[in-house]
Amino acid sequence: MRTAFSEALVRLAQQDPRVLLLTGDHGYALFDEFRKQSPKQYFNMGIAEQNMVGMAAGLAKAGFIPFVYGLSSFIPVRVLEQIKLDIAHDKHHVVLLGDGAGFVYSYLGTSHQSNEDIAITRVIPDLIVLSPADRFEQTLCMEWAYQARTSVYLRMGKSDRGDVHNTVPNALMGDILQVKPGKQNDLSFVATGSMVQTAMQLAIHHYPDATVWSVPTLKPINLAQVVNLCKNSSVVVTLEEHSVMGGLGSLVSEISAEHAPVRILRVGVNDCFSERCGSYEYLLREHKLDLPSVHERVRTFMLSV
Amino acid sequence: MNAPVEERFVAQTLRKTVLQMAFNGSAVHIGCAFSIIELLAVLYRNHLRYPDNNPKDQNRDYLVLSKGHGVMAQYACMKELGWLTDQDITDYFSDGSRMMGLSDSRLTGLEVTSGSLGHGFSVGVGLALAAKIKKSGQRTYIIVGDGEINEGPIWEGALFASHHQLKDLMLFVDLNGFQAMGATDEVLKLGSVHEKLNSFGFEVMTINGHDEREIDLAICQLLNSTSGRPKAIVAETVKGKGVGFMENDNIWHYTRLNAETYANALDALTGG
Repeated sequence: MRTAFSEALVRLAQQDPRVLLLTGDHGYALFDEFRKQSPKQYFNMGIAEQNMVGMAAGLAKAGFIPFVYGLSSFIPVRVLEQIKLDIAHDKHHVVLLGDGAGFVYSYLGTSHQSNEDIAITRVIPDLIVLSPADRFEQTLCMEWAYQARTSVYLRMGKSDRGDVHNTVPNALMGDILQVKPGKQNDLSFVATGSMVQTAMQLAIHHYPDATVWSVPTLKPINLAQVVNLCKNSSVVVTLEEHSVMGGLGSLVSEISAEHAPVRILRVGVNDCFSERCGSYEYLLREHKLDLPSVHERVRTFMLSV
Repeated sequence: MNAPVEERFVAQTLRKTVLQMAFNGSAVHIGCAFSIIELLAVLYRNHLRYPDNNPKDQNRDYLVLSKGHGVMAQYACMKELGWLTDQDITDYFSDGSRMMGLSDSRLTGLEVTSGSLGHGFSVGVGLALAAKIKKSGQRTYIIVGDGEINEGPIWEGALFASHHQLKDLMLFVDLNGFQAMGATDEVLKLGSVHEKLNSFGFEVMTINGHDEREIDLAICQLLNSTSGRPKAIVAETVKGKGVGFMENDNIWHYTRLNAETYANALDALTGG
């Protein structure tokens, strides 16, 4: 995924001189090729995220297309007001790249873990929210972000969980993508980012009749597709490496409640910080987002339906 | 038709327009607008370049009012330019008005949305960087309040402007000595703003912010400077300047005019 990301950046900068890369002193080796190919389009803005995002608005106002890179704890969480007021309010074409979302920085603790970024960006008008699951979705999301002509937040989480597609999907922004077919009126897994792979494993090993969907666009969302999904499912399970409040689980529940009521289990971070540190896999276990824990939660929920 | 450029932006007229708006709209922040009247008058009359008087021209200079609380002063100038009408002034704060109580970028002629402080400056630094990359020669003038520079992003942006030698950026600090809850010295001491900006790498002048000749000379001197440094003018001003009973009385950050105070303010303005 990270290769897909940096390759897309390099390509976009070479094909369009308006593309700039601003980084808040992050992404050490990630931008080596970019700096080699397009040194004049690269700016290390220092450890000054608020100013970086405000400046991105000024650059966009003057015709540039800034890609603003930081860790998702900072971009967007630290700079939410700059995103709201300076960027989205004017529909400036700025692409905000939040890397390391979820528990990627499993050893570093709360400051570097971000499970609230989707919730806070979804509520900002005129801001697109993207969350790719694998390298193919990453490539697609980078292209959507470049074409958007409005403000974009692109969430990048755990990047090495393997592919869920065979090729770059042929899809429109807002589409939900079926990554595993299943039976009509059976269980549906709806996941975003790193948790799409978990949903796939769960379906393959335990629920072979279930359908699995990936949601690379949290906003806008193809409403009709989500309504259909809810109508054609016995139970919906949403999965995200993000708070169960305000993210994908909320999104699907909101649509379902209004248009197609169905029982929904929201699997995500249950409104708590990490207690301890450890490997990524350890933290998933702590938050009950590892495969066996999710399986158990789904099994129990199914008994209650 | 509008008056010739050299006859426009008379400080007394601008203040009268501000009073009209404040009375018509029952609006606050009169003091914040009055301290930057002369700065805006000189900038609009002598320096800001708007090809064909077009506030959207891609090659225009940028005037970024980061202290959005002074926006009535800018509206008054925009009326002189013909960008706003007498009716707009009369209808200030009427239902459905696009002229908000703090600067809003969606109104043609205003560059940034501000009022939440410490935002416009960074946007302005971005505009100045864009002009430098494009070698367009556009100048970016940014006005911040002295209370506003409590905000951290101001100093982040100052580091950037200096590091990247954004020489066509000119920062004005409206040093009126007050912020929302009191005197800046009592709320959060600033020390010498001049020395601070100098140490951040700006070429700085401190002037009387109500003396139009002094303002103009300082701007010209800094524009003629051959240094690569960003420029700053610390403008010593008086909050509420122009109406005696408002001067240095921070209550006019918040107070609305009634018929009596409106009449008194107009009298004070014209020396009546």
